[in-house]
Amino acid sequence: MEPPRSSGVGIDNSGEYSPEIAETLRFEEEIQSLIHPSSFDGSAAPTGGGSFTALLGLPANQAVELLHDSGAREPLASRIRVGEHPVHRPFHLPLDCSSAFPSNATLVDRAARFSVFAAEGSPASSSGRLKAEPQDSDSPPLDPIPTGPAKRKDTGRSKAKVTAKKSKNAEENTDGDKLPYVHVRARRGQATDNHSLAERARREKINARMKLLQELVPGCSKITGTALVLDEIINHVQTLQRQVEFLSMRLAAVNPRIDFSSLDSYLSAECGPVTVRNGPGGVVVDPSLWPTDATAEATRRLLVPQFWHIDLVPPQLQPQQSLTTWERDGAAHSQLLPNPTTSLFLYDPANSGDTNVPHRTAKLKTAEDRALNL
Amino acid sequence: MYRRSFKDTKSSLGSPNPNFSKPMVALRFLRALSLVRCSGPGARSPSYRARGIRRAAYACMAASAGPRRAWSRALLRKIRRRPGRGLRRPRAVIRRRRPVGGGDPLEVALRRLVPGGGCMEYCRLLEEAADYVKCLAMQVRLMQTIVDSASHVNSID
Repeated sequence: MEPPRSSGVGIDNSGEYSPEIAETLRFEEEIQSLIHPSSFDGSAAPTGGGSFTALLGLPANQAVELLHDSGAREPLASRIRVGEHPVHRPFHLPLDCSSAFPSNATLVDRAARFSVFAAEGSPASSSGRLKAEPQDSDSPPLDPIPTGPAKRKDTGRSKAKVTAKKSKNAEENTDGDKLPYVHVRARRGQATDNHSLAERARREKINARMKLLQELVPGCSKITGTALVLDEIINHVQTLQRQVEFLSMRLAAVNPRIDFSSLDSYLSAECGPVTVRNGPGGVVVDPSLWPTDATAEATRRLLVPQFWHIDLVPPQLQPQQSLTTWERDGAAHSQLLPNPTTSLFLYDPANSGDTNVPHRTAKLKTAEDRALNL
Repeated sequence: MYRRSFKDTKSSLGSPNPNFSKPMVALRFLRALSLVRCSGPGARSPSYRARGIRRAAYACMAASAGPRRAWSRALLRKIRRRPGRGLRRPRAVIRRRRPVGGGDPLEVALRRLVPGGGCMEYCRLLEEAADYVKCLAMQVRLMQTIVDSASHVNSID
């Protein structure tokens, strides 16, 4: 709390006011005391509580500036002060009369601060006042700008303290005006601005991500409320994971003798340059582990696509060129001869005659095309 | 058996492919499928193969998602942890940076669902969850189409 006036920290001759001004009432009294100074000299006409400018011991320009500032601040000041004190105007007085007082140091500081406040305050005050009504509309663009000056503003919610602590409360209050009004009250006890700002930024980030999630999950756009949306998202993820499980079971149960013959050709043609990058790094491992695995070799051959240009349409024709390379590799590929060489699975020779093979591969190819064109 | 397929997919993590390229996922998945199947189509039970296929599906999904995603890294780590048990050496991996108190049951559930979700902050968790949902949906569609085409072809005979 502010020390009482009498215990002023050894400041001035009237010694009646404290370096910190806690409340308006106290301030009033100080002003009164300053207006009737005992040792007031150096000013033009110490009328003592008379004219405003007369009390200013300052040069005219400063007085004018301060007047303007106070004028700009006055609407805000009136908004600030809960109680209507008639001494709004002379609010600046003691600060500006500081030159005449031995207690100048603190007053000058406060004067400087308030003039700065006022200068910044006028654009911000208007914006702040405007913000009182349209709360959310301008909040994003205006948030960075009035953040600084808004720091020093009171919104009257608290007592009209002039301390830095109070001004910081004011900042939150005013900033809260830009968001839904409820936030103003909630954030009053914050220690610094940065925390509340960071919190607000974080909350906005979270809301943006939630919106993204809502769009992804079908049927979530209509739901309002974070908890229900989260619930829906969790359900969706669980459903998807269960689906993966079931589909893998089905795939395992499917007859493994199915021939994905032309699939590799399609895939390598589609993402040839990519697989060349990836493949030699990865598939090299496989032949070392499975030296006799036909499919491993098949995939390795697959990943050197420069040698043959595999076309999608007639799968049977082009791979014939590559058949020669494959035939060199061994008898394991002999059963692949009737098929295009890029088959993933060992084709069961018992099931196929040569006539059946192109038929099946064509069908499979169209099926896999469908799969990949999703 | 699984090791090889996952090594294959893991080695291609260096590629900056986004998950939008469905053919990439399809390629990886089919390659992994073949590796899984050919190792023992007659020797293993279907349930064993199903588990292998499921792990292959997750592995290729994570691989195609890219190493820049926390969930893909965590998923691959989880998958590869089992085979590599014998050779595990203590790595200086900083896990569990910020263990959350977990007040919200929904948030806790989400953390458990999304791979790698225990260490992230809330907004990061939401971001990873969005990507995870997208990749999962694509993987499910892919698998569905494969199964459909396979059964379709089978039924044609």
